[in-house]
Amino acid sequence: MVRLVFLGKFGEVAPAELAEVALPGDVHTLQDLKDWVARQQPLLGAAMDATRTRMIVNQCVAHDLSQAIADGDEVAFLPPMSGG
Amino acid sequence: MEVRVTSDAFDPQAEIAAFAAGRDDAGALVSFVGTCRAATGGVAVDELRIDHYPGFTEKEIARLAEETSRRFDCPDLLVVHRVGAIRPGEAIVLVAALSTHRSDAFEVVRILMDYLKTDAPLWKKETGPGGARWIEPRAEDYARRMEAEKG
Repeated sequence: MVRLVFLGKFGEVAPAELAEVALPGDVHTLQDLKDWVARQQPLLGAAMDATRTRMIVNQCVAHDLSQAIADGDEVAFLPPMSGG
Repeated sequence: MEVRVTSDAFDPQAEIAAFAAGRDDAGALVSFVGTCRAATGGVAVDELRIDHYPGFTEKEIARLAEETSRRFDCPDLLVVHRVGAIRPGEAIVLVAALSTHRSDAFEVVRILMDYLKTDAPLWKKETGPGGARWIEPRAEDYARRMEAEKG
């Protein structure tokens, strides 16, 4: 299982069942996962396409979407940040 | 250095007083407090809600604070950031820096605030009579952040 965390505006459109998912056999990288999420939830996919989306794996910034993911990982999807 | 992310309202003046108490090693104390406005661009704001990523948000703010304070003479730094539901008039963020001289303290606070606007893992949503909207950094915020990078 992989835990998925959707922050900010993504959290609003992500359904609860995406919080923990069994990795489909053809999902090996972050890019695969992002594409798979977009196929499951077109609204979420559109929201991610409409803005800059950063991905975080096990609380560490992923610089490359070709990064591999494994069972037990936590992957977060971050829209542009707005602190301060 | 202390970095705190909290869903509880805080009193900036009490935080600053506690932070500076007994610090006779520093000759300068500069603080900035960002508060929730009752209106943005003429549109009323009833509530501001800030989403965060527990663990990661604290870690990233601490990293930004550490990096900024290292560039200057800054023996101590305090960052308190609210998350969750915030009412107009309440403090959102406090950054306070101690330094030997004023110029370093001013710079640390200014540059760290520029970083927090664009790089702190926080997401603001304003709710008013007209509905809710997510806030994203303005072009001006990104430009300031680039300047901060150059130092």
